[in-house]
Amino acid sequence: MNRNLSIESVFTKSDLAKYPFLKETARYLSSLDLQIEDLTSSGMSQILDRAMERVTSAIVDFMVRPLIGVQGNKYIIKDLQKEIISFPVAVMLVSATDNSLIKKRYALAEAKQVTSELNSESKELVLKIALDFGWRIAFTPSDSAFEFILYFSDFLQNASHLHDVKWKLINSKLSEGNVYLNKHDVVRLLQEEIKRRIEKRFVTISIDKYPPEISELADKLKVLAAENIGQTETEFPKVVIQEAFPPCINALYNAASKNHHLPHIGRFALTAFLVNIGMSPESVTELFRSFSDYNERLTQYQVEHIAGERGSGTKYTCPQCSILQTHNVCKNRDDICKRIYHPLKYYKIKSEILPQNLPEKPDQVTKK
Amino acid sequence: MSSRDFVYSKFQEFYNNPLTVVPAPTSFEQREFAYLMFRERFMVRHKRFESIQTFQNVLARNVPSDVYHSCAYYENPDLEMDKKGWIGSDLVFDIDADHIPTSCGKIHDEWTCQKCEFSGKGVTPDECPICGSDKFSAKTWACDFCIESTRVETAKLIDMLTKDFGFADSELHVFFSGHRGYHVHVEDEAVHSLDALSRKEIVDYVTGLGLSVLDKGVKEKRVKGRKRFVDAKKFNLHDYGWNRRLKVGMEKFLSTMTAENLKNFGLKNNNLLKNKDAILSRAIMGGRWDSVSGVSVATWLKLAEQVKSLESANIDTVVTTDIHRLIRMNGTLHGKTGLLKIELPVRQLDTFDPLTQAVAFKKGTAKVLVSDAPEFRLSGAMWGPYKNVKVVLPTAAAVMLILKGRAEVAN
Repeated sequence: MNRNLSIESVFTKSDLAKYPFLKETARYLSSLDLQIEDLTSSGMSQILDRAMERVTSAIVDFMVRPLIGVQGNKYIIKDLQKEIISFPVAVMLVSATDNSLIKKRYALAEAKQVTSELNSESKELVLKIALDFGWRIAFTPSDSAFEFILYFSDFLQNASHLHDVKWKLINSKLSEGNVYLNKHDVVRLLQEEIKRRIEKRFVTISIDKYPPEISELADKLKVLAAENIGQTETEFPKVVIQEAFPPCINALYNAASKNHHLPHIGRFALTAFLVNIGMSPESVTELFRSFSDYNERLTQYQVEHIAGERGSGTKYTCPQCSILQTHNVCKNRDDICKRIYHPLKYYKIKSEILPQNLPEKPDQVTKK
Repeated sequence: MSSRDFVYSKFQEFYNNPLTVVPAPTSFEQREFAYLMFRERFMVRHKRFESIQTFQNVLARNVPSDVYHSCAYYENPDLEMDKKGWIGSDLVFDIDADHIPTSCGKIHDEWTCQKCEFSGKGVTPDECPICGSDKFSAKTWACDFCIESTRVETAKLIDMLTKDFGFADSELHVFFSGHRGYHVHVEDEAVHSLDALSRKEIVDYVTGLGLSVLDKGVKEKRVKGRKRFVDAKKFNLHDYGWNRRLKVGMEKFLSTMTAENLKNFGLKNNNLLKNKDAILSRAIMGGRWDSVSGVSVATWLKLAEQVKSLESANIDTVVTTDIHRLIRMNGTLHGKTGLLKIELPVRQLDTFDPLTQAVAFKKGTAKVLVSDAPEFRLSGAMWGPYKNVKVVLPTAAAVMLILKGRAEVAN
């Protein structure tokens, strides 16, 4: 397959309104030369309203309904220009909330909306959109049982985030660099791509100061989110409960306590797990010191690095189950393991089903 | 002259020889370089060089025992990790005898418990059988069987990379590692931007992790305590990826197996051999998996599991998923052997002989006192076994024995 395949993609204005993240939309928008200050002008109020509507329905209903009307016996998007411009404005509003839950929810809702649109589109349009994203994708020869071939690295970029085993590369129809897919699969992967792209916009957007009107709207959204999304950031018990550790972490913990050598990935998983369930870096270092002849200076440095107190300041999370499986750190899987994808989730579930533990001093590990 | 000084002088001669060519990796200026100082035993890291010539001068001056470069490309390779600015990374595979079972059983390796000094031969145990400690010092060896075992794994990997991943031979760089294994580098731009999670998927593909061959329609049920499968017709293998590998592997496996062998693999079903021809033509080639009586879905799954472990390639999973990895540099010496990391043409993996072609020290001899060494092959000749004897050996053999802790220079 020609990996540099590209075709002149021509989208209708209606396409641009339905799929407002396309390159052509960006070109169209930049031709309008909108400034952030313009948004608060009276002529733009309708667009701002529609943008609010997009985000609100994402927060409340987990979906973004297109602005449709009926023409004859067909549904059409009513005001194309408004629909197109309201998307980047909505992204900006979400960004102004500076709330990770709203960002996640909005990106997913927009992406899901696109999926439902795309499922009823022609495979030609699906191809055009995928090509617009720079995917190395083409139709299969006509005698094939599948409709598309997609280069494996573009497949992986999106499929690696999906949990169902059918998306694992090892279970895909891979041949000569290409994965054979039907339209439904391609649309699912596009959803993932769109979600990632919108999330990426939140990272790259750089507005130092929003006009007060925008900040006000952002505050409204935050209130709405607090009412509707609730607290989905995981909260762990105030004390560390060793009985609730997943089997993999227990195996690492026991090996470390017996002074056994842990491979790097195992040491990382154990440290990141303990730091993430709420142990302070000092307590983790202290715990490791009690175990063994760890190089103290090095241990402290590594623990603090993982806890985000050094270097880039990023707090590292424990690797997900599939990563631990790849490196043979996943051990003694049990029934809870079959329901979860992450050791921290295991801990959360198990700690909730365990009989209430006696209050202990924080940062102390309760013994079995 | 001490043994260490002797080896150092040989490394020094090598890096100062005008005929020594260290090939430059692609995108040279975007790579981080690192080297382990021979005497001081510390790693110099986060280095950037303008050209391979400048770097070779540094090697000649500093004489490191081991030389590395990053698989990654950075905007600023000489800054600390968080500030480097990751651009992309080669896709790299490491096949090392350390990580795989070999046909020699590593009987030439020796281990000593650091606590109670109990020692033994072969694969280092998890715990000392005497005192239970897990800290050992080990003396390894790289024998023909070790290297052959890694070659077989490398061949399987290359087959996947070309047939399934579609890389042309010219896009694959295969190296003897300088010790007891091979490296495969893919530098094609298509893989540069793959993140760690995507690379993990490639690792799982290569090692056979997570393969599921049953369609969702096939339900497992327990009848009188035994596993039964409902709707076995949904067991179907397509002609892509691992499904194709399973078919080809099953054919190969069944064609050459005897009843005795099957039993060793835990496959007791005699119908497998009795109906071999029907299985090969109707089931494997024709895709009619339910058409051979006496061969149930459970048997197919067992067979698939067996074939999977034979057809997958044993690689070091950590190396491939690490997007910041340092890898030994082509054309430099290995500090455990004195052999070169050296590139070989993909299609010459079968005929390439590392123990001749990766030899760096081709001239001279040295007199050494060998404490203990198995019989070994180097530079096309057999040497040893030796036990507490003084012998005159070619430089390459003397250097290798010293670096392996098996000999000292005899003054």
